[in-house]
Amino acid sequence: MTMTDGIKRRDFLKVLGVSSAGVAASGCSTSEVEKLLPYVVAPEEITPGVSTWYTTVCGSCSAQCGMWVRTREGKAVKVEGNPNHPVSAGGLCSRGHASLQHLYNPDRFAGPMIREGDNLRQGTWAEAEQLLAAKLRAASNVMYIGGNTGPSMNRLIDEFVSAVGGTRVEYDAVSDAALQEAARMAYGSTALPRYDIENARLLVSFGNDFIEYGSSPVAHNKGLSKMSAVDDHQSKGRFVYLGARLSTTGLNADEWIPIVPGTEAAVALGMASVIAGDVSDAGPYADVLRSYTPTTAASVAGVSEDAIRELAERFVADGPTLAMGPGAGANHRGATAAHIAVMILNHVAGNVGRTVHYDAGVTAAASSYADMESAVSAMAAGQVGVAIVHGANPAYTMPSASGFAEAFAQVGFKVSFASAMDETAAMADLIMPDRHFMEAWGDSMPRNGVMAIQQPVMQPVPHFDSKQAGDVLVAVANQLGNGLGSATFYEYLRSGHMEMHDASMGDFETLWADALRTGAVEHDMAMGMATGNAMDLQAPDTALSFDPPPMDSGGDLMLIVHPSPRFGAGEFSNSPWMQELPDPVSKITWHSWLEMNPHTAEQRGIREGDIVSVASGNGSVDVPVWLYPGIREDAVALAMGGGHTDMGRWATGNGVNVMDLLPSESEQVSGAQVTLVTSVTVTPTGERRRIATIEGSSDQHDRPIAPAVALADLGHAEEGDHEDDGHGPLMELQGVGGFVPVDANGGTPEAFPLAGTDHGEYADAHEKPRWSLAIDLDKCTGCSACVTACHSENNVPWVGEDQVLMGRDMNWVRIERYYEHVDATQAGELDVRFLPMMCQHCGNAPCEPVCPVFATYHTPEGVNVQVYNRCVGTRYCANNCPYKVRVFNWYRYTDENVPEPMNWQWNPDVTVRTNGIMEKCSMCIQRIRETENRAALEDGRPINDGEIVTACQQSCPAEAIVFGNIRDPNSRVSQVVSSERTYRVLDELINTQPAVNYLKKVTFHEVTGGHE
Amino acid sequence: MRKHWLIGGFAGVLALSGLAFVQGGGAGADSPTTLSDFQPIAFPHDQHAGSEPGQNNMDCQFCHFSAERSVDAGIPSVSTCWGCHQAIPGTNNPQEVAKIKDYLDAGEPIPWVRIYKIADHAHFPHMRHINAGLQCQECHGEVQTMGVLEPQRTGLPAVFLGQDRVWGGDNMGWCIDCHRQPNEDGVQQASTDCSVCHY
Amino acid sequence: MSTVTKDRTARGALAHPDVTRLDDVNRDVLKPLTGPPGKGWWMMLALCGAGIGMFFGAWGWQIYRGMGVSGLNAPVGWGVYITTFVFWVGIAHSGTLISAILFLFRAPWRQSIYRAAEAMTVFAVMTAGLFPLIHVGRLWHAYWLIPYPNSRFLWPNFKSPLVWDVFAVTTYFTVSAVFFYLGTIPDVAAARDRAVGLRKKLYQVISLGWQGTDRQWHHFGKAYIFLAALATPLVLSVHSVVSWDFAMSIVPGWHATIFAPYFVAGAIFSGVGMVITLTVPMRKFFGLEAYLTTKHYDAMAKLCLLTSMIVLYAYMSEFFMAWYSGEEIERTAFWNRLFGDYWWATWIMLVCNGMVPIMLWFKRVRHSIPALFVISIFINIGMWFERFVIVVTSLHHEYEPFAWGMYRPSVTEMMIMVGSFAWFGFWFLLFTRLLPPIAIQELKEVLPPPMRKQKEAH
Repeated sequence: MTMTDGIKRRDFLKVLGVSSAGVAASGCSTSEVEKLLPYVVAPEEITPGVSTWYTTVCGSCSAQCGMWVRTREGKAVKVEGNPNHPVSAGGLCSRGHASLQHLYNPDRFAGPMIREGDNLRQGTWAEAEQLLAAKLRAASNVMYIGGNTGPSMNRLIDEFVSAVGGTRVEYDAVSDAALQEAARMAYGSTALPRYDIENARLLVSFGNDFIEYGSSPVAHNKGLSKMSAVDDHQSKGRFVYLGARLSTTGLNADEWIPIVPGTEAAVALGMASVIAGDVSDAGPYADVLRSYTPTTAASVAGVSEDAIRELAERFVADGPTLAMGPGAGANHRGATAAHIAVMILNHVAGNVGRTVHYDAGVTAAASSYADMESAVSAMAAGQVGVAIVHGANPAYTMPSASGFAEAFAQVGFKVSFASAMDETAAMADLIMPDRHFMEAWGDSMPRNGVMAIQQPVMQPVPHFDSKQAGDVLVAVANQLGNGLGSATFYEYLRSGHMEMHDASMGDFETLWADALRTGAVEHDMAMGMATGNAMDLQAPDTALSFDPPPMDSGGDLMLIVHPSPRFGAGEFSNSPWMQELPDPVSKITWHSWLEMNPHTAEQRGIREGDIVSVASGNGSVDVPVWLYPGIREDAVALAMGGGHTDMGRWATGNGVNVMDLLPSESEQVSGAQVTLVTSVTVTPTGERRRIATIEGSSDQHDRPIAPAVALADLGHAEEGDHEDDGHGPLMELQGVGGFVPVDANGGTPEAFPLAGTDHGEYADAHEKPRWSLAIDLDKCTGCSACVTACHSENNVPWVGEDQVLMGRDMNWVRIERYYEHVDATQAGELDVRFLPMMCQHCGNAPCEPVCPVFATYHTPEGVNVQVYNRCVGTRYCANNCPYKVRVFNWYRYTDENVPEPMNWQWNPDVTVRTNGIMEKCSMCIQRIRETENRAALEDGRPINDGEIVTACQQSCPAEAIVFGNIRDPNSRVSQVVSSERTYRVLDELINTQPAVNYLKKVTFHEVTGGHE
Repeated sequence: MRKHWLIGGFAGVLALSGLAFVQGGGAGADSPTTLSDFQPIAFPHDQHAGSEPGQNNMDCQFCHFSAERSVDAGIPSVSTCWGCHQAIPGTNNPQEVAKIKDYLDAGEPIPWVRIYKIADHAHFPHMRHINAGLQCQECHGEVQTMGVLEPQRTGLPAVFLGQDRVWGGDNMGWCIDCHRQPNEDGVQQASTDCSVCHY
Repeated sequence: MSTVTKDRTARGALAHPDVTRLDDVNRDVLKPLTGPPGKGWWMMLALCGAGIGMFFGAWGWQIYRGMGVSGLNAPVGWGVYITTFVFWVGIAHSGTLISAILFLFRAPWRQSIYRAAEAMTVFAVMTAGLFPLIHVGRLWHAYWLIPYPNSRFLWPNFKSPLVWDVFAVTTYFTVSAVFFYLGTIPDVAAARDRAVGLRKKLYQVISLGWQGTDRQWHHFGKAYIFLAALATPLVLSVHSVVSWDFAMSIVPGWHATIFAPYFVAGAIFSGVGMVITLTVPMRKFFGLEAYLTTKHYDAMAKLCLLTSMIVLYAYMSEFFMAWYSGEEIERTAFWNRLFGDYWWATWIMLVCNGMVPIMLWFKRVRHSIPALFVISIFINIGMWFERFVIVVTSLHHEYEPFAWGMYRPSVTEMMIMVGSFAWFGFWFLLFTRLLPPIAIQELKEVLPPPMRKQKEAH
């Protein structure tokens, strides 16, 4: 439904709904007098107690995924991926979910802030705009420092800057500048290449962490799982990762070639030289290819020549294949050359037009750090009268060596559009808090020919007197007498789209309405996915060196700096969900850590938890060590996003800022920031600390928890070894879904409820559906989006670092990570198992008989439910749960930790738990009930398969989770579960008969050990 | 001497059962006697919904608009009130009716005091009950006869209530009592599975 | 000690060689009740009072703040509280054992200790009974474990061992309290006849007008033996049920069929140990050496020795079964017990319960009161750690390796645990001053006939 006039109505709308569910806590007295606040004028599309959904665009990062926002009584309570979006196609990452917390972030500015001496006072918007206008009128030189925005905003900024006669500096802390420059040089393409990962059969990533950040993490995650998951024809794409450190992306690889950082170009060219029968295939790069061989590559990359040669041979044989250049984590002095080398590799392998597309490119953050350097020197020279910072936080994200802070201080008048305090805004003279993207208009072009509109889904949060930056610019421009032709940004946006519109797209209004309803429209300008036009390589217009770039000496360990999958470059740090989300790799929450190879640590007598001082030429930080087998022995790694000095209550003072270690340097060719260049010394400080991790052991201890099966063994499981392979004989598994014992009625579901598993008189238990989950571990990439989605949907509180240290982390679903084979010393197979562990909803649930008050029991639908208000908190159920998925409310987390208005994010359909209550995964029973109610209203129609979608399933970019009625043989979950890979965790040991079915990971290598 | 022991014992037993009773019976909010005591506008339900001569015999769902399609019955918006009352000044006490206009002009919602409240950990989908053919009165009492709206509590725990159902919002037995009634097929008419309401 | 005969050869098999005259018994035994309490007693009472303050203060804080003030977490949901609960239930054992079972078996040495043992039982159950309340997350709803007709039409889950616990512990408390009270009636009457003022009033009420007539003695004897018969099965049942709190689960290290006998033996072991710990100082302070002689301690020491061996056997069989089962998870659990994070707790347990009591094989040790006292302390410590090992080490490494965790008891937990001893000690101190610490009338029954003549001659 459109918001175009809805917005007017909601102007009146008082967001306090009549349903107070969610704000009070379970088990409390219900007799207190309470106010009912009806609408003054009822908006007809809002029914109290019924969710209203709006589509919009996720403004969290440059990927701009499609988003659905669920609102209740005018409040946004949940965000989800929009399946209609042509790029992200459903699914949402953790950071996307956390945007809800940025919307209700209590640290947002209450209104425009004006500096008076050392402190800021709150002013009115009129006052603020007049002040800005006055300063701009007087200013000699205006500088607009801005990050990536939607196209319309982008255009507006350009017009505004030219109107006030200033200069614009585009700056993103994490950018693909090197890749974009390479694409321009080699193919003359303006945008980033678009990768068709799904259709590659062999994927080689040169340190590109594409499922964590970059142009489109969600889409790439989906592609990776589709590519690498075994399909119906039992074929499976292979994923090879070359890099010094295994990121979340890397942990999903089937092989790991731990090359020396900076040698991507050499290796890529070495491979290309093997592939290209005639070097002239490389066009203008023929002589480059001539000078690189696997031998030269092996000598620099620190891996065997055979490994490279063999990989190269497979890279042609297995086609279509795909190679991806170094990501943001590997921006060294030769980054652009490395990207071009990879492009050559793709070119000679004939992948261009098949799996790599330069035509329908992806627009992405691709700003140049070099511009920022010159901007800093200009500011330092005092040549800048007014500096406007918008959507960036350079004071934090630029290396302290850059001297930004000092330079920024020299600016006459400093303006920030930050909606909440950050390090840059803290220095500003005028803060004009921008709206959150859920309160504002905007648009996005995730790809050529795709138009997506970002519409406000709710009235601005009343606690904060914010104003959309676009509206501010329009207003100020009008005050300056050179109007931009529109009264509001909304008008500007719409008129802009009208201009772009041509008749071929059909009626504009229809298109617009479609865009608002479905979230995005693809019009004829959209390029086909596989146009198959293999473009020709162009000669570089600047000198390129493909040799490994020089690295700074001085240290003995290479420092790998990568954006955090949770915090990005630090812009997401002030969200308790992100802080407490266990890092997909390290499983550590809240604080920073230094990744170090166990052997390296052993040689230096460093133990895990030792606080070491990491020192480079530019500075040093003290950080605890975490031992990680997935990193080269000559390297250590630190994530961005920690160590904020002034960014709200959850981020400030938490961890260390890796930018204190880096030099301020941009790559010669592309001007991208150089982040992989520093070598550091690591010296123990003698202090220790406990690591705030949720990980108990990374070893399965030969238990049937996350088994795997070799691709070669698929299809003849009956002669496979059942005894120790994590599931019983096959007959037990066919279409059963974990509810009947092996021998019950030949393993048909009808035997439920089993004697001993049923509670109460359920006359119709056999007609009931049997809700069940199927989770394909071959698809799961461990990205942890489901964890945040679950927190958001089910009002799961965060507990804080001290509580995590005490082992009281609250996760209804946790992603377990087990190492099977990780070797950082040589190229070879990689086997790391991810397992999303939530309540297994056992048919024979150990938690049920031990509860003295029936607070946990089995429903006739086979869901193991927890009745919060009945729980007295003996915690016996948690003790007796073999999966350890039950979490306890040790304190009043839900009100002690949740300041107003953060509590607006509570899901009103789910009871908010208080002190002394056990809780756990409910299979999103509120969604089941909601759907049942809907079906009942529609004259009791049956519930369709796929109508109920759990929060984790909806969020999963890899589509690894399927929910449904296992009793219905045609349901998707039954189909999935009938796979021979199906097993249930620990089931054959303790006969818990779980309703959650896992499908084993499929490996290329023979799986060894007792637990495959 | 022995007598004293006996008496003491009885006293103890009584005290215990008393405690259990209070816990079970769910003593609710103290119910006021006159409207002006606690409601911002003296709204007489009987005047609107009553069927006596001079009363307007309105359908409950005219104002409680979302009862048949939502979990919440819905409270009428100020504009809904004004929709009728701009034409009907109110015969009995126009000064109360005038207040509606004040709220409308102020753009403020009317802060009604909630009478019927089910605990937040229990979910009560109105539409399921309305569509099951229940009359509002079966749970809320004969509202159309009440000048001052107050829950009609018997004060007794539902275990003693039998078929006589009146409001016992925070009294689970009162709900169960109805859910357990057999339907025409003789099986119980609504599920008594905990998770139907508690989640 | 009135008349101590120097002749040690004639002592023969007498339980109380140094007691010569029946009215000495009354005088000596009732002395603590009538005489001035003395500084030591007051000081200890004050100490216990302070401890109780700490106990309820800490508990109150926990109720106010939430269970978070404990060190508990996931996976270790039970810790010091349950450990101490089981410890006190165990202590509660020997009392009824000594009074009831030994009474039925007519053991000659029970008379002078059973009163103290029974008192200890009652107070120990009173202490233990608090801990389930302390450890639940929502104390204010704990009464839901009691089955009573309620408006929710809900009952407790009778499948749950925790509900069995409610019944077992309350029943045991009721019966042992009644049994204890019944036994004191004649002695309280004796005290009444000597006491004056308020005390007299009090004893008059408690002794229910006991006159020592034939008819009263007749009924008394009947009632006593009935109650003894009733209490005997409870001795076995209550701790079996407590053991099922663990055995009924599937936690490796808990789920074992041996638990019931193992726990009962352990309970008697710790209970008798505690009797020694308590009676040794008592006998010293109130000059009851003549009534609590080495004969009694020798007998109790033998009981300890026996139960210690049973417990040790239980440990061994647990380890054996873990190995013999070939079940990897079971094996890991018990390997982890010996050499895992909590190895120290396990070894304290093994040394205190298995090694130290070996000294009791020697008569000289059994006859040395100080030695027995020290050993009994070791036994108490060892038995507390036995429960700690069972509860904590089993939980912290369970099925799911990724969810393994560590548990560190918090200050609050420690305050409550220590405070429970004060609470127990407080009642026991009152007992020593208010009730005859030794059963006078039964004692007289076993005094040799000649002395009776002497009395009649009187």
